[in-house]
Amino acid sequence: MVQLGSALLKGYRGGHVVIRFALGGCTNRPFYRIVAAHSKRARDGKYLEQLGCLDPLPNAHGEKVAGLNLERLRHWLGCGAQLSRPAEKLLGLAGFLPLHPMTITNAERLRRRRRRAQESDAPPAEGGSQEPSAAV
Amino acid sequence: MLAALRCCGPRSFPAAFSEAIPAWSPWLVPSRGRKSRYDPPAKSKASRLKVPPPVDPAELYVVTERYRQHRLVLSALRSIFRSEVVQRKREAQRDAEDSAALSEEHRLLMAWNDAENARQRARREERIRKEEEERKMQKLQAAENKAKLMEAFLKEKEKEVLQLQEEAKTFITPENLEARIEECLDNPRNYNFAIDKEGRIVKRTALS
Repeated sequence: MVQLGSALLKGYRGGHVVIRFALGGCTNRPFYRIVAAHSKRARDGKYLEQLGCLDPLPNAHGEKVAGLNLERLRHWLGCGAQLSRPAEKLLGLAGFLPLHPMTITNAERLRRRRRRAQESDAPPAEGGSQEPSAAV
Repeated sequence: MLAALRCCGPRSFPAAFSEAIPAWSPWLVPSRGRKSRYDPPAKSKASRLKVPPPVDPAELYVVTERYRQHRLVLSALRSIFRSEVVQRKREAQRDAEDSAALSEEHRLLMAWNDAENARQRARREERIRKEEEERKMQKLQAAENKAKLMEAFLKEKEKEVLQLQEEAKTFITPENLEARIEECLDNPRNYNFAIDKEGRIVKRTALS
């Protein structure tokens, strides 16, 4: 029998280790695995190690559940792994890394928009209530 | 085909619409679904003016500052994790190496290495010493030979000088010119003889 194992292994030129989300699940039911893989691999392809998982749909209590293996995360980050943007944001929200700037910025924008919507609701309501009194 | 183009071409679609960067130029492959690069844009898009999203400069400044801080913290964390990994590796290596048998073997090998070094050093020094002696002997020999040659040369020159002095006695000088002329005229010599290959004078020739 001819042994061809190592000849069939995929060898890449360049590329780096990346901690990113690999999509799994079914139609209309996504499920992400937090995975350390080579950057040139397919998104759902062979990975080096699974470091956690994320369920993007909220559960019965309204929570989005994620699991993380912090020990191995530290190891991979120490070996020089890059992070994808959603992975960075998730780890920022988890508290392992500092909060991502865009998380804070988007939260600010949302708050501002909500406050503006509230103010635009309140004055017309006040104006509407005052006008009839003024007219009257 | 568009999927193949998608992975080769640039990901970001240019937001600014200008004459210099036409929307359909070959280097700007949009990552959209149905249409290929050769399909014309839809009629509803004929009057579309693509404008980049508005940017609030104050917010931009704040966001850049936040990114800078974030990257600082990230790089610091990465260096911490790196040092942890290195330390763990070193500890694992030390634990693997620290067994008694390995250290004993290491000690023995080092001792053998030291013995070898000493032996080689002794041999090397012996060789160097011998070479030094050889060189000294050769130098002495050379000096002796030179001295001998000088002596022989001087002797030769002495002999020549003496010979010349001897010959000088038979030179013709202005003082004994007259006397020598008288002498030659008084003793006529006959050079009319033949000589054979050995230099002997031949008394009996065919002509005589």
